[in-house]
Amino acid sequence: MTSIAEPKATDRVAAPRADTRLGLYLTLPAQILVLFIAVFPLLMQLYISLSDWSPLTGRGWWAAWSLWNNFSNYIDLAMEGRWWGALWRTVIVMLICVPAEFLLGLALAILFMDNFRGKRVFYSILLMPMMVVPAVAGYMFFMLFQSGGPVNNIASALTGQNVAIAWLSSPSLAFIAVVVADIWQWTPLMFLILLAGLVGVPDDQLKAATLLGANWWQRFVTIMLPRMKGIIVIALAIRTIENFKIFDTLYIMTGGGPGLATETISVYIYKLTTNDLAWGYVATIALVILISLSVVLGIAISRQGKAGEVAR
Amino acid sequence: MSSIRLEGLSKSFGAFEAIKSMNLDVRDSEFLALLGPSGCGKSTTMNIIAGMEGPTAGRVYFGERDVSDVPMTRRGVGFVFQNYAIFTHMNVRANLAYGLKVRGTPKAEIDRRVGAIAEFLQLTPFLDQPSAKLSVNILQRLAIGRSAIVEPAIFLLDEPLSNVDAAFRAVMRTELKHLQRQFKQTMVYVTHDQLEAMTMADRIAVMDQGVLQQVGTPLEVYNNPANVFVARFIGSPGMNLVPATLVERNGALVADLGTAGQSRPLPGPIAAAARKNNVRDIWFGFRPEGVSVAADGQGLAVTITFIERIGSRTIVHFSAGGTNGKAVFENDVPLVAGTNAHLVPDDTLVRLFDRQSGAAIGGV
Repeated sequence: MTSIAEPKATDRVAAPRADTRLGLYLTLPAQILVLFIAVFPLLMQLYISLSDWSPLTGRGWWAAWSLWNNFSNYIDLAMEGRWWGALWRTVIVMLICVPAEFLLGLALAILFMDNFRGKRVFYSILLMPMMVVPAVAGYMFFMLFQSGGPVNNIASALTGQNVAIAWLSSPSLAFIAVVVADIWQWTPLMFLILLAGLVGVPDDQLKAATLLGANWWQRFVTIMLPRMKGIIVIALAIRTIENFKIFDTLYIMTGGGPGLATETISVYIYKLTTNDLAWGYVATIALVILISLSVVLGIAISRQGKAGEVAR
Repeated sequence: MSSIRLEGLSKSFGAFEAIKSMNLDVRDSEFLALLGPSGCGKSTTMNIIAGMEGPTAGRVYFGERDVSDVPMTRRGVGFVFQNYAIFTHMNVRANLAYGLKVRGTPKAEIDRRVGAIAEFLQLTPFLDQPSAKLSVNILQRLAIGRSAIVEPAIFLLDEPLSNVDAAFRAVMRTELKHLQRQFKQTMVYVTHDQLEAMTMADRIAVMDQGVLQQVGTPLEVYNNPANVFVARFIGSPGMNLVPATLVERNGALVADLGTAGQSRPLPGPIAAAARKNNVRDIWFGFRPEGVSVAADGQGLAVTITFIERIGSRTIVHFSAGGTNGKAVFENDVPLVAGTNAHLVPDDTLVRLFDRQSGAAIGGV
């Protein structure tokens, strides 16, 4: 029982250092875990990406140094048309889907601010697409867009003519079909997040603005939007990241085709991984995407942080 | 400038009646306090005047104009919320300018008026500060300024002083009164604090359980409460009410308080009214402030239960025939807790209430 001693002046000075060390010990297990699940794979990826290593070489991944290729993976990637095409298509899908999902979600969220009959039922129905397994959604849309499928049936019924569009076989129509499927599945998520944001706008402030003579649009622009800024950024960030990785629905609907018409980065990587087994190259692509996405989102979120500082 | 008239106003939330058929006239340029305990319907009344809620029945008039169907955007009333509802994502200047901006007022005009109101409310040093970090006292002034800048003819304040500290509350009471004199708006001020109502209002409207109990000047409401509720609610402490029976004695009407004895002969007008209404069972009411200590055998026989000496005055708690009451004296009194004493209410301050209906007998 020597530890219970008279407190000395030096104890106070020494205390913070002891605390730091204790803190280190306490968090050590978590730190080791993080090392294995985040840092190690990243370093491994970096290591492999600098070589021509593939499981076909018959060597363990740790021996990839023997296949060192002087950054040629990175150089090849910069020059490869298929990669740039896939990136371009991914960006286009993102530029269509995310804003469309955002605007639709926002419009729905605004509608759900009011009370109307059957609100709860509509609410449940609206959230259902989000609950569908993406692969199943892909299969659903695959069926819907068959030339003898319901989409054409409805078009036939509406126009009175026999419509038999081969949606998924035409490059541009397949692209549209894929975009429609993504919007269908992920608008509910936007709706849900934005509704939470709208509900969080203080009612008193909206009333105060109304009493000061602001009409709906003025209230929306001056009170609701600024108040929702943080949540809008989060919603857009989530969907941008997710949409960038668009894969399951799309792959089941078109397999990236016809040709390369709907081949996005994920599909491209999937093919490289499973068909070509070019794992060193795949590691390169994955790293490049990780870094570029982190930079873009980092900038977006830090700018939001600054804006939030002012708003608060 | 505008008067407000509520005609047969009712509001129900499901089965709950928040306001029951209320008629109220607020005169032009008047400062009216809507006073009542929590849940009495005063805030609902205010919301209906502002157009935030629609009445279940009844009409609202501003001046001669029926505004019952005018949406809140165009009612043009100034409204100060209990929590101020400051736009915390804007700075002070933007908050003040908001009402003018949404009306499309030219920028030069906005700047001039923001400057003027900021000067008046001593907000000038804070104009470019974010409003979220200001103290409650400043937020309070900002809330008033933001509504006042559009010069509404009608100004509604919903318990605006309930969040500020006691010292600032006293300052704001004077300021608000000053502001109202300056702009001559018709002001309706919701409060549960009778001190605020008494000090600021030209007239007080007392509400309870959705029913308007009495409207009158602070002194009218204090001196001649219309019913038992107002008698108890107004005054601090409220009026003493002792159950009694009216009896004739030697040609005069007196209140028999049972074991507490009998009152002195009731003053003429009250006695006349009581005789006319032919009531027997009454509440014998008298203000704690209008009591003096009497010699044995006179006045009401009471038991002193407790004495609070708070310096400026002495509050004596007593029990008169099983009913608890209070007496307030300016100076210390030679009474001892636990002993019996005799108290005499001042004749002119005695009020009687019908025990059946609760209404005041005569005098109002």
